Amino acid sequence: MTPHTRGAGLLELLVGASLGLAVLGALTAAVGTGTRLLAGASARFEAEDTADLALESLTFDTRRAGYDPTAAGIVPIVEATAERLALATDLDADGIVDPNSEETTAYVCSAAAQRLSRITGRQSLPLADRVLGCAFRYLDGAGVPMAIPAGGLDADARARIRALALDLVLRPTRLRGETARTALVALRTEP
Amino acid sequence: MRHNARPRRLASRNGIALPAALAALALSAALGAALAELAGTELRLVQNRRRTATVLAASDACLARIVAGMAAGWDFAGALAGPDGILGSPDDGAVDAPAGCVATLGPSPGASDPPRALLALAARAGGGRHTLDAVVGRTRAPGVPALLWLSAPPSPGAVTGTLAFDGADDADPAAPGWAGLAAPVNPSALDAWLAGEGTHIVASAATGLAFTAPPPPLAALGGYLRAAGAAGPEVLVPVGTPALASLALVDGDFTVTGSLVGAGLLFIDGILDIVGSLDFTGVVVASGGVRIASAGNLTIAGALWLGAPPSPGAALVVDGRVALGQDHAAVEWIDTRLTLPRRATVLGLQDGI
Repeated sequence: MTPHTRGAGLLELLVGASLGLAVLGALTAAVGTGTRLLAGASARFEAEDTADLALESLTFDTRRAGYDPTAAGIVPIVEATAERLALATDLDADGIVDPNSEETTAYVCSAAAQRLSRITGRQSLPLADRVLGCAFRYLDGAGVPMAIPAGGLDADARARIRALALDLVLRPTRLRGETARTALVALRTEP
Repeated sequence: MRHNARPRRLASRNGIALPAALAALALSAALGAALAELAGTELRLVQNRRRTATVLAASDACLARIVAGMAAGWDFAGALAGPDGILGSPDDGAVDAPAGCVATLGPSPGASDPPRALLALAARAGGGRHTLDAVVGRTRAPGVPALLWLSAPPSPGAVTGTLAFDGADDADPAAPGWAGLAAPVNPSALDAWLAGEGTHIVASAATGLAFTAPPPPLAALGGYLRAAGAAGPEVLVPVGTPALASLALVDGDFTVTGSLVGAGLLFIDGILDIVGSLDFTGVVVASGGVRIASAGNLTIAGALWLGAPPSPGAALVVDGRVALGQDHAAVEWIDTRLTLPRRATVLGLQDGI
């Protein structure tokens, strides 16, 4: 090899550049796919966690509804519609349901805002956003779903509720389909 | 010249491939690590949720077993006094809890009526711990929703005649069906006894499954009945004569030889022998058990509550025919005149941590 023929020729450069670009492209695609997978998984996990936490919160609030150590006659469910549930309890055993504390808890499904909120006293806490479906169901002592009139269940009907259910569906994330959960919780008060 | 050219060629070969590969590797590793961390976090969350669900179920089961084991009665004075029955002693409120749970019973705040108590419970299961406070009271309905309430498990072969249960209430078809049998023994043992008696026991479709219940507090009920000035066996009248509902108490064994009818509460403080026939509406109590002779016939619209016989022997011996059907109005009628005992029940709870 003479000094004039040293270095890479045009063809070598083109082949080398092409191979380099191909490898770089493949790497970029792999990293991009990995990033999307990570973001998708993260969003999916967050949605699952959100749904689980919302239902866990409802479970504990429902379990303690109607807790009435002084026998003051506290009604566990004070409002029952398909979109709204209000619970009452006497946590500090003073015989009174304090409307400004956790003794008054409500769950509201807002279709317009696509949100499930928990309202304790006067504070509203969003439990889940991107809500696609959210509805309460009420079951009597025989486990039969009760028909909910437009204005919600009246006092007599609410007194017959022995269990309630929340069906919650969150919008699909990039990873798989929508997140759907149902919680069925029995009241702990005596029929 | 050739000697100096080699390092330049090597330098020119460095290019960007190695840094790019390393960068890609680093990015991939970072992405992999992030994904692994995410998955690990989710796994831990799921494990926590499983632990929460396990211990919550364990505490609920514990609460249900404690309450089911509480004595039937009118209040919680005995339970609050503890095993020694003396209020103010160190064992006040001590509760016999299943394994994995610790529970104590204390007075509930506020007025003493309706009778209730506060049960503080701590449960451990599945690596988790959960506490709760439950308000324990007495059931709204008197007695137990069973046609036959026994103080002890029934003996095998006790029924050689016919024992018929009808859990439906003819006067109130909407009323929930009553069970045929309740006794302080595991339900599976009651089911086995019912199956073992074969065709001697007949149950209608409306009859519920046998369940565990504490023994009926017959001694206390007898005491209350005496204090209320109950009538005697004269309230049982011959068939064809209108029977007025009343509270009746018979001290000692009692034998029905003719054909009698009655209504209300009939408390036999001894053994009830049926040689003839008795048709009763309400509750028949026999603290020493009941024996139905082969020609005997006992029909009750209401309930039959039996104590244990004083001497060795079965509380229930049916060589004749017994037919028990629900009449909750008749039981409630008694309850308006003499408060009947009730089982303990959970009136509400508050979860701790």
